[in-house]
Amino acid sequence: MNRPSASPSPGSGEIRLVNLTKTFGVTTAVDKIDLTIPHGSYCCLLGPSGCGKTTILRMIAGHETPTAGEIYIGSEMVVGKSPIARGTALMFQSYALFPHLTVLDNVAFSLKARKVGKDERRRQAEEMLRRVHLHALKDRMPAQLSGGQQQRVALARSLITNPRVLLLDEPLSALDEFLRLRMRSELKSLQSELGITFVHVTHTQPEAIALADMVVVMDQGRIDQAGSANVIFNRPKTPYVARFMGGQNVLTGTVVRTADGVLRLKGANGAQFEIPTNQAAPPQGFVVSFTVRRDHINLRKNLDNRAAAPNEVRGVVEATEYQGSYIKVFIDVGGGVFVANVSDRDFSADPVERGDAVVASWSAADTNILTSVDEGGAGEPYSDAAPATTIEGLEKG
Amino acid sequence: MAGSTTSYGPRPWTFYALATLFTLFVIFLYGPMIAVLILAFQGPSGSLDFPLRHPSLMWFAEVFHPHRVGDVVGAFERSFPLALIVAALTVLISVSAGFAFRRRFVGSTLIFYTAVASLIVPGLVLSIGILVTFRYLGLPAAWYSSALGAHLSWTLPFGLLIMFAVLGRLSPSYEEAAYDLGASKWQAVRWVVIPIVFPGMIAVALFGFTLSYDEFPRSWLTVGSKNTLPLEIWTMTTNVTSPELYALGAMTTFVSFLAIGIALSSIAIIQRTRSGRK
Repeated sequence: MNRPSASPSPGSGEIRLVNLTKTFGVTTAVDKIDLTIPHGSYCCLLGPSGCGKTTILRMIAGHETPTAGEIYIGSEMVVGKSPIARGTALMFQSYALFPHLTVLDNVAFSLKARKVGKDERRRQAEEMLRRVHLHALKDRMPAQLSGGQQQRVALARSLITNPRVLLLDEPLSALDEFLRLRMRSELKSLQSELGITFVHVTHTQPEAIALADMVVVMDQGRIDQAGSANVIFNRPKTPYVARFMGGQNVLTGTVVRTADGVLRLKGANGAQFEIPTNQAAPPQGFVVSFTVRRDHINLRKNLDNRAAAPNEVRGVVEATEYQGSYIKVFIDVGGGVFVANVSDRDFSADPVERGDAVVASWSAADTNILTSVDEGGAGEPYSDAAPATTIEGLEKG
Repeated sequence: MAGSTTSYGPRPWTFYALATLFTLFVIFLYGPMIAVLILAFQGPSGSLDFPLRHPSLMWFAEVFHPHRVGDVVGAFERSFPLALIVAALTVLISVSAGFAFRRRFVGSTLIFYTAVASLIVPGLVLSIGILVTFRYLGLPAAWYSSALGAHLSWTLPFGLLIMFAVLGRLSPSYEEAAYDLGASKWQAVRWVVIPIVFPGMIAVALFGFTLSYDEFPRSWLTVGSKNTLPLEIWTMTTNVTSPELYALGAMTTFVSFLAIGIALSSIAIIQRTRSGRK
C-alpha cells in the first residue's frame, strides 16, 4: 500500500496534492491542483468563499472524494482511506461537538471507537483536557461553554487521535475579535509545540499572514500563489493576489524601453515608471502591471506643479481615513484611486485634506512586477480599496 | 403573558374578536371533557346528566365487571399493545426513511408524496379496502394484522414528516466528526445521530401511540371479530345508558394524557441535561 515516493517517511505529515480535481455536477470546485505542504508546517489556504479551499481541506480529511488526482500524506496515497487511517483530524467550522455528551466524553469519543477501556479513555481524555486548560470543565455539556472553550474542546477531541495532520476549517470565524486574536496565538504555539502539519482554511488575510509558514492564495478552484507570508504580501505574483492580500497599489503601463536592468513604463496621464528588473525584459509596447505598497508611498502637496518625475503620480485627495497608527489617504488620479498609507507622525507634519492636489511618489526599489496584466479589480469583493487602484495603461497605442 | 403592550398603543378590536374566538375554542375543547370527567363520579341515583348526586367511584368499578354489554378490559388489552406496536414501528420506519431521504435519490419525491398521500385517503374507505383485500386473500382480519397495517397508514405520514424536519435540521458535520474520530457508520448512528434526534423519536412515538390508540375509522372493519377500545366504546354508546360510559371515557383519556405526559417530560429531561441544568 506504500507507493514508492520521494523522500517523506510513512509517519511524515507532508501533504502532496497531485493534479487534484473536484467537480460538483457542472461546477469545478477544485481545478487540477498541485501542491506540496511540508511536514510540520503551518499552512493557510486563503481565498474568498467558493474558491475551493474548504473542498481541498475536506478531500485531505477524507470527507470528500476527489473526482481526479491523488493525495499523499507522508509516503502514502490516501484517497479512499478513512480519516483515522490517514492520520488526519478535522476541526469543523461549527466545532460539531456532540451536544448529548459531556466535555470529557466528547474528548474520549475516538478512544471509545477504538475500544479503549472506560477507565483508560477517561484518564487519557482528562490528561488532554489538562493540556488545553479545560480540566475544570470536564463534566459540563457543550452548550454550557463559551465559543473559545468549545473550540478548545474541539481541539482536544481532534488531538487525542494523535494526528500527523490537523485540518482546521475556518476555526476562528465564530469567535469575537478579542478571542480570535487570543486563539490565533494559541493555535500557533500549539502547532510549534506539537510539530505536526496544520492546514488552516480562512478567508481573512491578516489571519493567514499572522499564522502561516506557507500561504496558499486560491481563486476559483486554482492556486494563484503559494509561498511564505512575507513573499505573498510583498511580492504578489498576480493582480488578484495583490488585491486580495491588500495593502498594495496596482499600476499598469506600457514598456517604453529597457536599459541597464531598469524597465521604463509609460502610464496614463503622463506618468512614468522605472522598475528595476533582473529578468528578461519584455519588449517595447508590452503592457506590464506592477505593485507598490501603500505604506511605501511618500506624499507631498503639489505646490510647484513642475513636470512629473519618474515613479510618481499626481492627483487630488478624495478622502482620508484615520486608522490609528496611520492615515489612509485616497487619491483620485484621474480614472482610478491610488492609496497612500501615511504614518500619523508624517501626516501631522504635513496634513492633507479632501480637495488638496498631491504628488505620491515611491522609490524604484519598492516596486514588484506582476506576471499578468491587471484587468481592473472592479467588483472585487475582497479588495479593501473600493475602486481599482489602476492607472489605465496605453493599451490602444 | 402578563406583559403590557407598551409601544403598540391600545389594542385593536381584532384582538378582542380573536380572544373571544379562542375562549370559545377552549370551552368547546375542554368543556365537554371536563363534564364527562365530573359525571364519571356520578352516584348510584344519578343520571347521565347534571346534577352530580352522591359522588362515588361505582361506575369505575362497573367498567371492570364485564357482566354487561361490552368487554372493556379485553378491548384495552388489544388497543394498548396495538398502540405500542404501532408507535415502535412508526419510529423505526420513520427514522430509517428519514436517513434515506437525507440524500436525494431517484424517485425520492414520488415516494415521499405516495407515503404522505395516505393522509388524504378517507379512513373508512381504506378500512373497507383492507377488509376486501384480506377477504380476497383468504386472510382473517385481526387487530395485529389488518388493523396494524391500517393504523400504520395513518401514523407513518406524521412520523415521516416529523423525522424529515428533525433530520433535515441535523448538521451532517456531527456524523462527519464521528467518522473523523474513527467511528464506523453504525457507531456514528448509534452514538451520535440517534442520541441527538432522540427527542424527535419520542415525538414520533407519541404520535404513533395516540393516533393508534383512539383510531376509529381505520379500525372499523379491520379489527376482525374483536373490537379495539374506540370501537368498544362506540358499541357501548348504542347500548349502555349509564355513567359507566363516562367512567370509561375518563379512564381512556387518562391513558392518552399519561402517554403525552411521559413523552413530553422525557423530552424536557433530555433537553435539560443537554443544556447542563440539572
